[in-house]
Amino acid sequence: MNSAVMKKTMYFFVLPALLFYCIFWIFPILKLFQYSVTDYNGYVQNFNYVGFNNFKTLFQEEVLVTSIKNTLVYTAITVILGNIIALLLALLLNANIRAKGFYRSAFYIPTLFSAIVVGFIWSYVYMPQEGLIASFLAKIGLTNWDTNFLGSYSKALYSIIAVDIWKNIGTSVIIFLAGLQTVPHELLEAGKIDGAGKWKLFRFITLPMLATSVTINITLSVINGLKAFDFPFIMTNGGPGISTNTLIYAMYKMAFTDQLFGKASALGIISFAIIIAITIVCVLTLNKKEVSA
Amino acid sequence: MKVLNRKTLVMLLVAILLVLGACSSNSNNSGTSNATNNPNNSTESPSPSTSTDEPVTLTMLVSGAKAAEGEDFELETLPRLVREKFPNVTLEVQKLPDEQYYTTVKTKLGAGEGPDIFLVFPKLANMGAIEVAKAGYAADLSELSFWDRVSQAAKNDMSYDGKPYAVAKGMDILGTFYNKDLFEQAGITEVPTDWPSFLDASEKLKAAGITPIVMGDKDPWVIQFGMYQLAANSVYPSDPEFDNKLQTGETELTDEKWIKTLNQYKELYDKGYVVSGSLGMASAQAIQQFVDGKAAMIFTGTWDLPGVTASGASEFERGFFSLPGNDANQPVYASASTAAGYALNAKSANLDVAKQVFEYLYDAESPLFEAWVASNPSISVFSGVELQHDIFQNVLSEIQSSGNAFYFSNQMWPAGVSDVMQSKFAEIIGGKNTTAEDVAKAMQDKYKELYKE
Repeated sequence: MNSAVMKKTMYFFVLPALLFYCIFWIFPILKLFQYSVTDYNGYVQNFNYVGFNNFKTLFQEEVLVTSIKNTLVYTAITVILGNIIALLLALLLNANIRAKGFYRSAFYIPTLFSAIVVGFIWSYVYMPQEGLIASFLAKIGLTNWDTNFLGSYSKALYSIIAVDIWKNIGTSVIIFLAGLQTVPHELLEAGKIDGAGKWKLFRFITLPMLATSVTINITLSVINGLKAFDFPFIMTNGGPGISTNTLIYAMYKMAFTDQLFGKASALGIISFAIIIAITIVCVLTLNKKEVSA
Repeated sequence: MKVLNRKTLVMLLVAILLVLGACSSNSNNSGTSNATNNPNNSTESPSPSTSTDEPVTLTMLVSGAKAAEGEDFELETLPRLVREKFPNVTLEVQKLPDEQYYTTVKTKLGAGEGPDIFLVFPKLANMGAIEVAKAGYAADLSELSFWDRVSQAAKNDMSYDGKPYAVAKGMDILGTFYNKDLFEQAGITEVPTDWPSFLDASEKLKAAGITPIVMGDKDPWVIQFGMYQLAANSVYPSDPEFDNKLQTGETELTDEKWIKTLNQYKELYDKGYVVSGSLGMASAQAIQQFVDGKAAMIFTGTWDLPGVTASGASEFERGFFSLPGNDANQPVYASASTAAGYALNAKSANLDVAKQVFEYLYDAESPLFEAWVASNPSISVFSGVELQHDIFQNVLSEIQSSGNAFYFSNQMWPAGVSDVMQSKFAEIIGGKNTTAEDVAKAMQDKYKELYKE
């Protein structure tokens, strides 16, 4: 009966923490499932149960498909492009260049600002005709370029993603830089002696040694992409139309503008399922890669 | 020994749970007892202990931006003057941007932690008087003494079941601010009074190389500003009961009147009268363009007066007129509505004190009332208060003499319908093949989803 490691009674000490965890974490999540089948409007406490009506309307509406698509595009681009750029920058900043410290901090500075500030500044940069990019293009004589970045259906989403990458690249660069410090010189030297070129050194020595950093960075940017909300909220209000609605943004709009907490909860459950599925796939594949590397 | 240990632990846990439970039930009790007591205590006989001696802190949550220059009325003047009159009362005011205001105040009210004084909008609008009263969050204000000085319309718009729940800040008019110098430059001698002459004026401006209209459509709500002015001419004059019929299902937003309205607004974009790339411009940026003299007109409401009269890169005289959506030889209807107003929290523990503050704030003789009138860009709904801003004189006297005005359409829609109108109409602005009929249909679908008896 008596465990050699720990007395059974010790488990009771977990209870207070568990209690709080259940009250403030598990219970609200279960509440979400309850609300998803009601017409709760967020603050009038007597509501009706409406079955799966919320899900039915969601599946009939354009906004579900648009926001899922946008979220996936957002995530894919921030993960792939963001990490490739971050890796290139990290390699540059790891090279023996002058004023390395200055460049390293310069690339990290955007990360320090709040998303609100960054979004606000960039909406001025993107402003048509008068904005920084528009006036720069006009200065160098490219007047017939369309400079309406945030107001165009085809460009708004990508313009926002670019800002997100710009802001968050510092974090990824730092993680890659830290990873690069752990690549042993002996291995690189051995590779050189064996006659490997720069690309081969990178592909067969540096990159495998960076596997952990890659996993961390990809996981972080997948999470960041899937819960994208700040920039659509600050820079475009999900617009033009609903073209930059992400899952979380659509949920926020539904809950707080339409006052359909029930429907928003239903959307919450759908995105919960999507996010869980993507995370599982990611973690499983990356774990395998890391072990084999 | 071991058994005892386990027993003590279990007892300890039970004790903790009991304490936690007691705490929450305690606060519940005090909350409900206050709420039930309050209606019995009328304002005339507040318990003297709360009104004079004990320090009381009132919380106030409103929306808007802090005044750019000078003292902000809600954040600075109001708490100071309340302090002078009631030395024991501290008023803590928080001002939030509109979007955040809605979410914050609803969350707080829903959690039973609502502010004592908060901002409520007329009728059915988002945070509208009707829904807030229905939910039991706003206190019935009918017993307050100043109602005989408030215009009937303003009182009605803040009422539910015949009882007023908020005191409107005034009346707001949607209109067109215009640059008189640029109008002159383009050879426009008279303010347009019907739709053809408005299009004509815009054409002249455009031909003179002046951007006729600037709108910050990246903040999609500004689409309402032009639209409701057109609806006041194209929808309501021929059918003043339109929105009531909407509720009974007798008519729909896909009615030809709304199609006409949407097409009128669409025409301004199709003909290139609105600045190109407006979807990429925020409303503050658009106002700046107007102030800098880069466009001749901007659609917005009386509340934006401080913004559009701020000094910019260009000096010019501003004017204000109602966007004439009327056919030739028809009178112009203005789009005017009761502005938002302050309401009191029905569940507040300090409801009596808050009511006294209200009595003082709306007392014609008090310095607080004077300061309120002076700082308020809306047109006062209190009798005996003169118009503060001459720029609105023409439109206002027109409304007063003819009575030709209708409310902002969204005040009779459930919150969310106007959002669909904006996001669907943005597709038109963005050059997609969306038609006025598509927009109207999306609005009607949303209306049906959201409207509940």
